[in-house]
Amino acid sequence: MRLQRTLAFSKRTLLQFRHDRRTLAFVLVMPLLMILIFGYTFGGDVKGVNVQLVNNDFGIQPGGTPGISFSQGIFLGDNISKHLDTETLDIHVSANASEARQLVHDGKAWAAVIFPANFSENFQWSLAYPESSIRPTVEVYLDGSNPTIAGAVLKAVSQAIQDTMNALAVTLNISQAHSPLAVSTVYAYGGGETRFIDYFAPGVISFAIMMVTTMITIILFVNERRNGTLQRLLASPATEAEIVVGYSLAFAVIGLLQSIVVLVAAMVLFNVSIVGNIFLALLVVMLLGFGHQGLGILLSAGAKNELQAVQFIPLILFPSILLAGLFWPIESIPSYLQPISYVIPLRYGIDAERSVMLRGWGLGEIWIDVAVLIAFAALTLTGSALLLKRKS
Amino acid sequence: MMAEKRVQCPQCKNIQAIPGASGEVIVVTCPVCGFQGKVVFPPLDQKTIPVIQLKQLTKAYGRFTAVDHLNLTVYKGETYGLLGPNGSGKTTTIKVLCGLLSPTAGQAMILGQRVPCKTLMQKIGYMPQETALYLDNTVHENLAFFAGIYSMTHDQFLSQEQTMLRFVDLERWRDALVSTLSGGMRHRLSLACALLHEPDVVFLDEPTVGVDPELRATFWGFFHALSAKGCTVVITTHYMDEADRCGRVGLLRNGRLIAEGSPQDLKLQTGTTSLEDAFMRLGGRKMV
Ligand SMILES: Nc1ncnc2c1ncn2[C@@H]1O[C@H](COP(=O)(O)OP(=O)(O)O)[C@@H](O)[C@H]1O
Ligand SMILES: [Mg+2]
Repeated sequence: MRLQRTLAFSKRTLLQFRHDRRTLAFVLVMPLLMILIFGYTFGGDVKGVNVQLVNNDFGIQPGGTPGISFSQGIFLGDNISKHLDTETLDIHVSANASEARQLVHDGKAWAAVIFPANFSENFQWSLAYPESSIRPTVEVYLDGSNPTIAGAVLKAVSQAIQDTMNALAVTLNISQAHSPLAVSTVYAYGGGETRFIDYFAPGVISFAIMMVTTMITIILFVNERRNGTLQRLLASPATEAEIVVGYSLAFAVIGLLQSIVVLVAAMVLFNVSIVGNIFLALLVVMLLGFGHQGLGILLSAGAKNELQAVQFIPLILFPSILLAGLFWPIESIPSYLQPISYVIPLRYGIDAERSVMLRGWGLGEIWIDVAVLIAFAALTLTGSALLLKRKS
Repeated sequence: MMAEKRVQCPQCKNIQAIPGASGEVIVVTCPVCGFQGKVVFPPLDQKTIPVIQLKQLTKAYGRFTAVDHLNLTVYKGETYGLLGPNGSGKTTTIKVLCGLLSPTAGQAMILGQRVPCKTLMQKIGYMPQETALYLDNTVHENLAFFAGIYSMTHDQFLSQEQTMLRFVDLERWRDALVSTLSGGMRHRLSLACALLHEPDVVFLDEPTVGVDPELRATFWGFFHALSAKGCTVVITTHYMDEADRCGRVGLLRNGRLIAEGSPQDLKLQTGTTSLEDAFMRLGGRKMV
């Protein structure tokens, strides 16, 4: 393999992009648009969810109880209601539990939060007799059709409960650990602040590289074949390996540019913070790109013109969007579909990107992903060099 | 180069060995009968070194045989025209020679090496029938690309680029995108790309299609200049007037070589005045 010949391919390809402004725009704007659209629509923060609040809690009048003093009385339903996040939830107070449920049932509200009459009383009992099975229970009647919203409601309610307990722990002089209501949430990563956009950004970077590299490679090689340049190259001293590596270098430059644009946009517009090593993040994305470049060359053999090449888009797009964990975790897709995700290289790219960017993991932790991506790239690039060599 | 020729006296059939150098013409007197004659030692560059040799070359696409047991030899410095109507197998022959197709049977040798051979490719220039260029790059970028592929130095490239652009009359279009050029201009650029690295052997598949007559004359002047420098030029064409300018032509029909020789020889052989007629006489179809 000769460097001068290899670089001739890279240089020509990059110069082509310089002339073909629209394709260059597509390369850079497509991922930008994705992050903008999804960033703003799913923005991480669910706001103004219509919730019916029914507080039937009688509370406990001021007085004494064996062992524990409730000098001011306890109105737990009120307390928790006051702690509900009014930005996330648009709270409508309702007197009747069954009416509230009906509203949810009819799709007029997303959830009904219902405190039963004996809520505070049960709280008291469970404090006094921790071994008894009596538990204060708040009912959340929930429309689960939108997991993002359902999650936001549950999160708001449990947050309110926790805040209430924190406050009560001081006034009641009980340790939080003994509180029967305490919701214990510990964030391993993201400190509870992780929004959808944080989760989404590493995915978009991987996805954009995958789509752009695959599509552009297919189109470039369909044109190489159709214009006869490929034949001319095969009748030149250039080897198939030089062709493949030459293009890889060009795509590496383009991919780098693309990743940086997305990263900067994510950081500037959405305050996405990158915990891990940015170079490792870029390395992962490059590997993913190389693999898909090989895939693109292989697929280009199956297309006679650009129109046919475009028909490959849905074939690559849908499995990647739906099954590779771009929008939602792989665990949330039906279990019989989950095994498919193992053969989608994007899965490993997204997984590694998230691990690096959100968790700050290093090569030691993501080596399986990296190994799979290297194997994928080696396989497709070797395959494509062999394919180019093939004669009729 | 010193050589020895064994010659036979046409009069007394006496055989003797005459030493001589290539390019020499020696007057010889027969020691037996005294007959005087000339012995010619042809100069080396006068088409005696075989550069391209096809032996029983056959290429079949499935059950269809596009090139059928082709035997031919092209010598150093020749302009050899592969002549034949569309579909007669000219392009297929060239593609086999350039290593793009593997022969079904037989073999092809170029410069003493059996094709396909990657190291040989440095010495070969190939202009495909379709103008194989990068449309979204400029004229200059295309030339620079091929210069890189053929490992030319920067200085070599700059001087060759100028020569070539002048030759194909594209100097003014150096920075134009190929997609904005006309068909004929693309053809010219394609030719420039094939000749840029000064190859020893060039295969030009219909290099003059869509080129106006004036420039066509320039092209042929250039081809002859190339062969004078010792470059072997193989050209396919179905223009008869062009075939007349070749040193030698091979007439192809249905993948078979039906006649071969210099245009003059072929006309003499068939007693015709034009190659067109000669070709018809030799069993060809009408060309265009
Ligand atoms: N890839 C191919 N598959 C099948 N047949 C082909 C293929 N390429 C060329 N042919 C056939 O081989 C014959 C010779 O073609 P070609 O060498 O291109 O002729 P020419 O260059 O003399 O016009 C034609 O009949 C053509 O249809
Ligand atoms: Mg042809």
